Amino acid sequence: MPLPCRQQLRPGPNRQRLRQLGSTKKRKKGYAPSTRPLVKGSNLCFLFVKHKYTNSFRVPCSLLIISYSGSAPHRPRRPRHATSPPPGGDQSAIAPMPLPTMTHSSSFLLPSPPAEAAAAADAVAYAVIVLNQRLPRFASLLWTRAQLRVCADGGANRLFDGMPELHPGEDPDEVRARYKPDAIKGDMDSIRPEVKEFYSNLGAKIVDESHDQDTTDLHKCISFITRNPPGPDKANLCILVLGALGGRFDHEMGNINVLYRFSNIKIILLSDESLIFLLPKTHNHEILVDQSIEGPHCGLIPMGMPSSSSTTTGLRWNLDNTSMSYGGLVSTSNIVDDKKVMVTSDSDLIWTISLRNHT
Amino acid sequence: MLWRTIRSMDVMVHSSSFLLPKIHQPAKTPANNYTLVVLNQHLPRFMPRLWAHAKLRICADGGANRIFYEMPQMTNDQDCETTRNRYIPEIIEGDMDSIRPEVKRFYSNQGSTISDKSHNQETTDLHKCISSIRHRTPSHEKSDLCVLVTGALGGRFDHEAANINVLYVFSDMRIIFLSDDCLIQLLPKTHQHEINIESSVEGPHCGLFPIGAPSTSTTTTGLKWNLSEAKMRFGSMISTSNIVDSEKVTVQSDADLLWTISLRNLT
Repeated sequence: MPLPCRQQLRPGPNRQRLRQLGSTKKRKKGYAPSTRPLVKGSNLCFLFVKHKYTNSFRVPCSLLIISYSGSAPHRPRRPRHATSPPPGGDQSAIAPMPLPTMTHSSSFLLPSPPAEAAAAADAVAYAVIVLNQRLPRFASLLWTRAQLRVCADGGANRLFDGMPELHPGEDPDEVRARYKPDAIKGDMDSIRPEVKEFYSNLGAKIVDESHDQDTTDLHKCISFITRNPPGPDKANLCILVLGALGGRFDHEMGNINVLYRFSNIKIILLSDESLIFLLPKTHNHEILVDQSIEGPHCGLIPMGMPSSSSTTTGLRWNLDNTSMSYGGLVSTSNIVDDKKVMVTSDSDLIWTISLRNHT
Repeated sequence: MLWRTIRSMDVMVHSSSFLLPKIHQPAKTPANNYTLVVLNQHLPRFMPRLWAHAKLRICADGGANRIFYEMPQMTNDQDCETTRNRYIPEIIEGDMDSIRPEVKRFYSNQGSTISDKSHNQETTDLHKCISSIRHRTPSHEKSDLCVLVTGALGGRFDHEAANINVLYVFSDMRIIFLSDDCLIQLLPKTHQHEINIESSVEGPHCGLFPIGAPSTSTTTTGLKWNLSEAKMRFGSMISTSNIVDSEKVTVQSDADLLWTISLRNLT
């Protein structure tokens, strides 16, 4: 069954279909802030702001912003599944449709993925991005799974040094030639000259973006992959990122922010201990858990915004229209109790699950 | 919020002087009372320096294993036993499911208080430690108290998220998380903040993050890319890879922010 496309919204009773905003068109630099209504007769707006030290904006249409004015208190959004009528008593209004369901699976971590999944017409196409941190122990496995492999700047050093360590007893240069990236992208201030030369000679595309200091290396790599998707259909793309967690905290936060900025693309951040990905509030989420490779420890984190209502099934301590916020309840050290975990929330949440130690 | 905008906010002053070698304390350093909490991850390489500054050292469960096994590698002592006898935590607290029996026995024999909280499975080991520190600190000493925590960042992501939540839950206490790469601390919205930068030990990379809720107005000075009543939100603009450009950074915001600054290579 094809993965639902996050960019689409269901047309409501008085709304036009929103334009897809996750386009791959390159935005012009230095454009002024603009606010423009995109939907006729509605009170929704998109705010685009280009700031000199942030990533260029791509706000997908699934992420709506109601701007906060001055010191007005934050009013949590009503859950999408609430059925109260719109103001003004519009008689033609109908109850909101249920949210579409997005399914998630970590089958890419299986030693041998199910053959039928790989052969299906709508098979997931994986891309791998290596950032500048020590490779996790399963890097070779993910490399083999992926159809497109990109190093972000110093990630190439990690690949060069780390892959032979993951294959002791084999000739280092043979290992490096076997695990060569398709592209190395970034501002090139970390990659060692000999590493750059080695992979360039093997045919890796070196894309120097040192002129762009407004976006992180991860952001640049995600943009590159979305412009050159490995599979036929971008809706089936899943990007696996190694080295995004731990290390310098502002790097980790910048990497997590990329999940929010590209919330219409499946992006999973992996470390030796755990993986994380975004659960956008626009969907119900079905997370298929394979206990041979992941779990049992898990959590749901309301990063950046409190949630006034989250509901789950399949966990040891389920949420039931529960509020979550920093300073209050954050679901951590929870336990997966079922092969399938369901999550619905009025806020974007970060899902995390521990990874089992398999060599 | 109106009354708050009329009267000026109290200023909270921050300094990383605990990262300096103890003999190099600046004369004007506020007399901080440091407590050190060691969680169960690799010790940062400057741990001996933190240990020297702290008046009270608490190991959270498996943190005791880290002190026992890793401290000898950080000192110039002749043998492990000498190091272990020098670095004895006053308290070992937590649910005791990670500490090794021989480690527990060693420190217990050396006089450490073993505080077994295994009956309480509702809170993390860090939460238990911070709660008991607050409980045992007299009121008149609370304003000087600064808790330094190692091992709170990295590792399992839900542990890191829970640890960061402790900063928010105990937002009236100064708590600083330290790793080899950086430190982080909460800047509560109730105060204006003055951060004195010790450029011999920290910087230049820094950042500000609205982890709990968005900020509609944040203003800074002393950064390469300052904010001027800027909005910050996950999914939109957050301040990463900023650069400290002055000996003093000031921050004022309508939201609680996490401040981070990179650490230089300290031995």
